[in-house]
Amino acid sequence: MTAQIQLEGVTFQYPGTETAVLHDVSLTIEKGTFLAIMGSNGSGKSTLCKLLNGLIPHYYVGDFSGKVTVKGLDTRESKVAELSHNVGYVYQDFENQLVSPRVLEDASFAPLNFGYADFQSRGKRALDLVGLHGLDQEFIWQLSGGQKHLLALAGALSLDPDILIIDEPVAQLDPQHAEEIYSILRRLNEEFGKTIIVIEHHTEFIAEFCKEVILMDQGQVISKKPTKEALQHVEELIASQIYPPQVTQAAFQVGKGYAINLPVTLPEACGFFSNDSLRENRREIDIDFGVQPVDRLPLIEMEQVAFSYKTITRSKKRVLKEVDLTINRGDHIALVGNNGAGKSSLMRLITGLVKPETGKVIVDGINTRDVSPEHLADFITYVYQNPEQMFIEDSVRKDVGFFLKARKVTDYQKKVDQILEQFDLTDLQDRDSRLMSGGQQRRASLAIGVAMDPKVILLDEPTANLDIATRKHITKLIAQLKRQVGAVVIATHDMQLVAEWANRIIVLHEGEIIHDGDRKSVFGNTALLERAGLKAPQIFQLSQALHIKPYTYSVAEFVAAWREKVETDGIYE
Amino acid sequence: MEYTSKFTEKLSVEQMKIELLNTAYGNGDTFLAKLDPRTLFIWYLFFGIVPWFIHNQVVLFGMFVLMVVLTVLTKVSPLIVFILCLGLLGQGGYLLIASLFFGGDGTVILPLLLLTLKLSVISLASITVFCSMDPEKLSNGLLKIGVPGQVSFSIAYGYRMLPSLLEEYHHVFLSFRLRGKAPDRHGFLYWRSIVYFCKIAVLSFYPLLLSTAKRARTTVEALETKGSFYGFNHPKVKKIKLAHLRMGTRDYLFLAFSIIYIVSVFTLGNFTS
Repeated sequence: MTAQIQLEGVTFQYPGTETAVLHDVSLTIEKGTFLAIMGSNGSGKSTLCKLLNGLIPHYYVGDFSGKVTVKGLDTRESKVAELSHNVGYVYQDFENQLVSPRVLEDASFAPLNFGYADFQSRGKRALDLVGLHGLDQEFIWQLSGGQKHLLALAGALSLDPDILIIDEPVAQLDPQHAEEIYSILRRLNEEFGKTIIVIEHHTEFIAEFCKEVILMDQGQVISKKPTKEALQHVEELIASQIYPPQVTQAAFQVGKGYAINLPVTLPEACGFFSNDSLRENRREIDIDFGVQPVDRLPLIEMEQVAFSYKTITRSKKRVLKEVDLTINRGDHIALVGNNGAGKSSLMRLITGLVKPETGKVIVDGINTRDVSPEHLADFITYVYQNPEQMFIEDSVRKDVGFFLKARKVTDYQKKVDQILEQFDLTDLQDRDSRLMSGGQQRRASLAIGVAMDPKVILLDEPTANLDIATRKHITKLIAQLKRQVGAVVIATHDMQLVAEWANRIIVLHEGEIIHDGDRKSVFGNTALLERAGLKAPQIFQLSQALHIKPYTYSVAEFVAAWREKVETDGIYE
Repeated sequence: MEYTSKFTEKLSVEQMKIELLNTAYGNGDTFLAKLDPRTLFIWYLFFGIVPWFIHNQVVLFGMFVLMVVLTVLTKVSPLIVFILCLGLLGQGGYLLIASLFFGGDGTVILPLLLLTLKLSVISLASITVFCSMDPEKLSNGLLKIGVPGQVSFSIAYGYRMLPSLLEEYHHVFLSFRLRGKAPDRHGFLYWRSIVYFCKIAVLSFYPLLLSTAKRARTTVEALETKGSFYGFNHPKVKKIKLAHLRMGTRDYLFLAFSIIYIVSVFTLGNFTS
């Protein structure tokens, strides 16, 4: 292994800020590695990556000291153009990185601008590498989120760089597409010898795909270790708000004290937990993880609802076909299915923002066709996937109070105070919401939703793009909603959230509801998961593999079940 | 009522986005779209300017017929044609009323019709030309005739950004609707509702500006790494980029046809007067 990237005592401070984002960072990255950078939001991960393609110090002129060498080139002396040939970068908001209207044009944009006569075949080659076939002349607006991400990756690959940096590759993808993109990265790493650097919060992907892990905290590199070793130190990781894979957490809790080598992947965990004598003596234990019964008072009814949208070529694209659905009081619904299955469309139909093509949507006894969305807003709240799209005022407080003020609610300020308190926003209330961090923005968007005091709240991907600690916080806030609201519907790819929160799971696939059940019926049905592009939480898969019945859905449940099993069996501990 | 709701459906932001994109990118397979941008520039240079100086009705009418045929051939979006007609009729109508009001009589109708005809020829020429060139082609054409790379790129890129901007705007607009309160009654001639919508249509721009500024940062960085600034400064890049532009038989035939047509129209015009 040869050193490919070298940082020596690098300190960097953005202009106009008080403190340095990176403090005296020294680091060596070897050629051909697959490296994950972990760290909470604001720990300097993105800044570190921007050092490598020369955007710092050429583009961001802050206080820079130290030395960065990439493939023997000193980044201070080389141009961004030259470094771009060696380092490809895929942003977290990759959509803004696509600059041409058509797919092939975009993929060959960089080779063209650097003056390669064979720019088109270079672009095509890059598209082949990421597996984006047959879309050369497609408009980028017509691509799905996953395809756009692949295109951004192709654009980064078009100059055939040796180093590839991807900022949060799976943040917005369903579990199946997430696997897919990591498999592509692995292939690029193993077959084409590229050095891959990802910024990643999902330790389960890190454990499965990455060779090494860097842990960052407050502008410093805390450690750089092989993946397996890095994920062993459960307590330290949790202290820096990083959560190791579920199986590792479970093994840590079960085997506290004497387990030296904790498992980090599912197969390893199967080995770790399997114990032949245990297996023979096993007795079925029925622990009831069930959900409370609910009274069946329908709040929303959809009958034979179909919906299409028009594409640029004026042809119609069916997103929902004849959907029947009743949402009752007390329902905590997780709406799952892969990207483009029709989740968002379904939610927008309920808000009355769009009307069904055929069939009807009845909300609180009113046909959405007959009233405006403003009218339905008294009953329903929709919280956007991208919190920024909800910020229409210049401070958090005004945004939270907007709905109440518009309806001239007396004493609304008191209510705003109370909600700001609930969502931990009191200190931030005068800030402009757009300038807050991702987690804060998400809290603000939830607060805005709750301030509308709805009977039904619809949340679109509330936990996407968040680091795990923030995600846990949001999950807790969502759990509180159960008491405040008649029914909650969450569209999500976050299977842990689904397993730990929902009492009803609706699986959408190509515009149809292919399953309406609970976590037991969904996660236990392998064929269904496969078809809908879903993946059960790792801890569930583990309990399945170990035949711990009933299956467990969270680490806590697993640990409890395991302990009980051990006690019943009378061995171990 | 049914008609108004159908009409408002047609006027939704979504629909506007589609029409806009269609006008910009959607007509790649028509005859005119296959011409070299330079042919279209030359052609437009004539039909965009000359009609101003022509007063012969027969000639103008002949040009008008050609434009109508070409407009049909280029499959211009019906919405655009509709807006154009509305504009022309509105303009003519208002001038007629104004002249009658200030003591004019029936004799003004003919000159007014002539003016409208002129405007129609010019407008239709503009529409056919710009609908036949997608922004990329326009940008390449401009680059070819010597406009700086930064300018031509900005045109292409501006169009590329439009749908995202519209979408973002739409989201913000809907946010206002989802949390705001529409007037309880529509009021006389819907005036309350109209005021309400106009108000949020304007208010939606502010959040849009702020969030766009944020997004633009990624784009500019990406452009930097993708070498677009390198490209502007290297003539070799320009050459490769424009290598596919070629004046072909089709171009010459089209120009020849236009010239013959115009000559015959002028001859006819002179002959009849």
